Amino acid sequence: MGHGHHIEIKQENFVVPDKAKRFAIILMVLGLVLTGVGMATLGGSSSHSHEAVAESHAEHSDHAPATEAHSEVEGHDHQAAEAHAEEHGNMENEQFGPRAGFHAEEKPAMTRFWANLLVVGFYFLMIGLCALFWIAVQYVANAGWSTAFKRVPEAMMTFIPVPFVVILLAVLVAKTDLYHWAHYEHLHLSAGDAGYDKVLDGKSGFLNSGMLIGFPTVLVAIWYFLGRKLRGLSLKEDAATKGDVSFFKKSIRFSAGFAVLFGFTISIIVWLFIMSVDAHWYSTIFGVYNFISMWVTTISIIALFVVYLKKAGYLHLVSDEHIHDLGKFMFAFTIFWAYVWLSQYLLIWYAHIPEEMYYYQIRFEDYKANFLGNLILNFCVPFLFLLMRSAKRFRPLLVTIAVTMCLAHYHDIWFNVFPGVFGPGMQVGFLEIGIYMTFAGLFVYWVLTALSKNGLVPVNHPYLEESAHHDVGV
Amino acid sequence: MIHDSIIRERLVTGDKTAADVTRDIARPILNQPSTAWKVGFTLSVIFLGIFAVSLFYTLWTGIGVWNINKSVMWGWDITNFVFWVGIGHAGTLISAVLLLFRQKWRMSINRSAEAMTIFAVICAAMFPVFHMGRVWVGYWALPLPNGFGSLWVNFNSPLLWDVFAISTYFSVSLLFWYIGLIPDIATIRDKVTTKGAKFWYGLFSMGWTGSTRTWARYELISLILAGLSTPLVLSVHTIVSTDFATSVIPGWHTTIFPPYFVAGAIFSGFGMVATLLVVARKVMNYENYITIGHLDAMTKIIMVTGSLVGIAYLTEFFIAWYSGVEYEQYAFLNRAFGPYWWAYWSMMSCNLIAPQVFWFKWCRTTPWFIFIMSIVVNVGMWFERFVIIVTSLHRDYLPSSWVMYSGSLTEVGLFLGTFGIFFTCFFLFAKFLPVINMAEVKSILRNRE
Repeated sequence: MGHGHHIEIKQENFVVPDKAKRFAIILMVLGLVLTGVGMATLGGSSSHSHEAVAESHAEHSDHAPATEAHSEVEGHDHQAAEAHAEEHGNMENEQFGPRAGFHAEEKPAMTRFWANLLVVGFYFLMIGLCALFWIAVQYVANAGWSTAFKRVPEAMMTFIPVPFVVILLAVLVAKTDLYHWAHYEHLHLSAGDAGYDKVLDGKSGFLNSGMLIGFPTVLVAIWYFLGRKLRGLSLKEDAATKGDVSFFKKSIRFSAGFAVLFGFTISIIVWLFIMSVDAHWYSTIFGVYNFISMWVTTISIIALFVVYLKKAGYLHLVSDEHIHDLGKFMFAFTIFWAYVWLSQYLLIWYAHIPEEMYYYQIRFEDYKANFLGNLILNFCVPFLFLLMRSAKRFRPLLVTIAVTMCLAHYHDIWFNVFPGVFGPGMQVGFLEIGIYMTFAGLFVYWVLTALSKNGLVPVNHPYLEESAHHDVGV
Repeated sequence: MIHDSIIRERLVTGDKTAADVTRDIARPILNQPSTAWKVGFTLSVIFLGIFAVSLFYTLWTGIGVWNINKSVMWGWDITNFVFWVGIGHAGTLISAVLLLFRQKWRMSINRSAEAMTIFAVICAAMFPVFHMGRVWVGYWALPLPNGFGSLWVNFNSPLLWDVFAISTYFSVSLLFWYIGLIPDIATIRDKVTTKGAKFWYGLFSMGWTGSTRTWARYELISLILAGLSTPLVLSVHTIVSTDFATSVIPGWHTTIFPPYFVAGAIFSGFGMVATLLVVARKVMNYENYITIGHLDAMTKIIMVTGSLVGIAYLTEFFIAWYSGVEYEQYAFLNRAFGPYWWAYWSMMSCNLIAPQVFWFKWCRTTPWFIFIMSIVVNVGMWFERFVIIVTSLHRDYLPSSWVMYSGSLTEVGLFLGTFGIFFTCFFLFAKFLPVINMAEVKSILRNRE
C-alpha cells in the first residue's frame, strides 16, 4: 500500500544518456543498411505507359458495361469476340476476386518502397495522435493516476509532423501505383468508355487526389495545433504558482474539443490512406479497427518509455503500480482489438457477399501465415501472457510483450495495405524491416530529445499527489 | 483515499457519519411506505394489468393480433426486446467496468442500476419468448436431444447465441447484485423487529458476520465477478447486433454494428438510470448520496455514448454511399427520406443532437432538465431500433412485397405493459431492499481528509 508514507515531489531534468543516443543511431543506421539491401534486391522498374494502363484496366474491368465496350473495340473478328467472351467469362468470377485489378508486375519496383513509407508513416502518425488522445482522455475523464508520467505521451505527440510528411511524400510521388482509384482517376474515363468503372466513378467525390492530400492536411494541422496547445499549457503549469488550477481547467476544455473532433474525423484519415488501397472494398468498422490497433500499440510504447526512464533513474513518482496499470490497459485493449477484428471478420465471413469477401479471400488464401500469425501475435500471445499479474509487474517480461505488440501491430497495418496494393505474393523482407527500424530509431531519438527539453515531472498538476500515491489495491 | 486531490468533489455530501448512512438508507425499509411510493406502485400495477390483458389476448387469439406481416416479420416486439436489453447494460457497466476503473462515484448508484438491469432483462425476454408463438415448447430453443420433441438447435444462428448470451448475462448480473446485497441485508436483519422480517433477511444474509475474513472474501469475489461481467457488457449487445448484421439485408449487414450497439446500449441504459435516480434522489431524500456530481458524471457518459452512436450513424450513411452498392444506398435514403422519415429524424435528433446540450454545465447539473433529457434519450433509442428493424424490412429486394407497418393496439399494450413489469419490480425493490450500497458508501465518506 503506497499511501501510508510521505513522498517528496521534486522536478527532474532528463539528460539523454549517450547509450540511448547510440542505441537510436545504431537502429537508424542498421535500418538504412537493411533498406539499402532491400532496395538493391527490388530489381529494375518496368515501364508502364498510360495506354498500357488503360488497356490493362479495360481487360480486368470490374463491370459489365466495360465488357461490351471492350468487345466493340477489339472484337471485329467474330471468332475473336467469342473467344474473348469466353475468356471474360472466366474473369467475371473474379470481378471482385482476389486477383482483379492488382497487376503487381506492371507496377514500378519502387512502389514497394513507397508503400512501405505509407505504412510506416501511418503507423507513427497514429502513434503520435493516439498519444495525444491519451492525454486528452486523461483530462476529460479526470484521471489522476497517470499524471506522474504524462510527459511521456506529450513527448510522443511532438513526432506527429514527421510521419505525416512521410505519408504525403509517398502519396504525392506514387499515388497512382498505391491506389487503384488514383490510377483510375488519372485515366479520366466516362460512362461508355473502355475500362469505365461505375463503382470507382461513384466514389470519385471522396476518392480523389484533392481529398487525399487536402482533408488529412487540414485535420492533422488542427489536431497538432491542439496538441501543441495542450503541451504548452502543461509546461506553463510547471512555472505557475502552487495551487493554480487555471491551466488544468483550460486543458480540460482543449482536451474535450480535441477528443470530439478526433473521434468524429479519425476514420476519414483511415479511409483515405488505408481503406482506399482496396478501392472497391468497404467496411464500416475499418476506422475503429485501425485506431484500436494503434491505440494499444501506443499504450505499449508509453509503457516502454516509462520502464526505460525508471531504469535510467528518473520518474521517482512512478512505481510498479503505474506500470501494472499500463499493463492492464495493454491487456484490455488487446482483447478489444480482437473484438473489433472479429466483428469485421465474422460479419463479412458470415454474409459472404463477394464485394466484401474478396478482402479476406486474398488475405487468407494467399497470405495464410500472415493472417494467422497476425492473430496469434496480436491477440493470443499478449492475451495469455498479460493475464498473469507477474507479467504486468515483472519488467523484462512486460517489455518483451510490449515490443512484440509494437512489431505485430506494425504487421497488422502492413497487412491492411500490402495485399491491397500488390495482390498475392508479397512478404516482409529486408526493406520492410529496414524502414521500420530506421523510423523506430528516429522516433526514439526524437522522443528522448523532447523529454530532455523540459522537466519530467508536471510538478504543479493538481492530481500529481494522487498519482504519486497510486496503488492498484490488490 | 487520503491522497485524493483537493480539487475532487466529495462523493457524499452533508457530513454524513456511518450511522447516518444506515439510518437514511434503511429508513424506507423499516418504515411504512410513503404516499409517493403508494401512488407510484399503484400506477405500476395498473400498467402491469395492461400487460396481462394484452398478453392474454395475444395468447388466446394468436400472434396474428400483432401487425407483423410477411415482410416486416419483426416489428414492435423485437424493437422492444432490443430496447429493454439495451437498458440493461448500464447496470453491469456501472458495477463491473466502473469498478475496474476505480470510479468511486459508482458506489451510490450501482445497486439500483444493477436492479434495473435485472428487471430490464426480464422485460426484454418477454418479447422473443412470446413471439415464438407456442411458448409452452419454448425450451426447444435450448440444445436438447431430439427425444424431447425438439430438433437439435442450429449453432450457426445468432438467435441461439442470444439465448446463451442473455441467460448468462442475467445469471451473472443477478449473482453480482445479490452478493453485493449480502452485507446490507445483514444490516437490515439486525434492525428489523418483526419475526417474519427477521427470518427472511436472516435467510438471505447467509449468516454474514462482518468479520475481516468475510469482508476479504466479499471484496475478492466482487473483483472476480467484475472481471467476468466486463466481457458480458460487450458480448450481449454484440450478439444482439449479430441477429441483424449476419444477414444480407441492406441497413443490417454492416461491420460496425457490434461496437455501435454496445455504445447505444450503454447510452440508453444511462438514460434510464438518470430517469430513475433523478426522481428517487428527490422522493427518497438521497440528495447527499446521489449528488449533483453524480448527475454530472452520468450526463457526461450519456453525451459520450450518444456521440459514439452518432459517429456510427454517420459512418453507416457515408459508407452506404461510398460502397457503390445501390441496395445499401437505397436503404439509407429510404430511412432518411422515405415513409418512415419521422422515425429516422426522431432518432437522429434525440440521440446525436440532443445530448450535445450536456456541453453546458447548467444542463449537466439541473435535475429537472436531466430528467427531461433522459426521457428524450429513451425515446430516441426506441426509435433507433424501430428504424433499424422496420425501415430495412418494409422494402426488401422485391418491390412486390413492399409494405407499411405500424404496431397494433395489442403490440402497444404489451410495450406499455413492460413498463408495468419494470416499475412494479423497481418499487418493490425500493421498499424491501436498500437502494444504495450502504457498506460501500461508508468507505468513501471521508474521501477528502
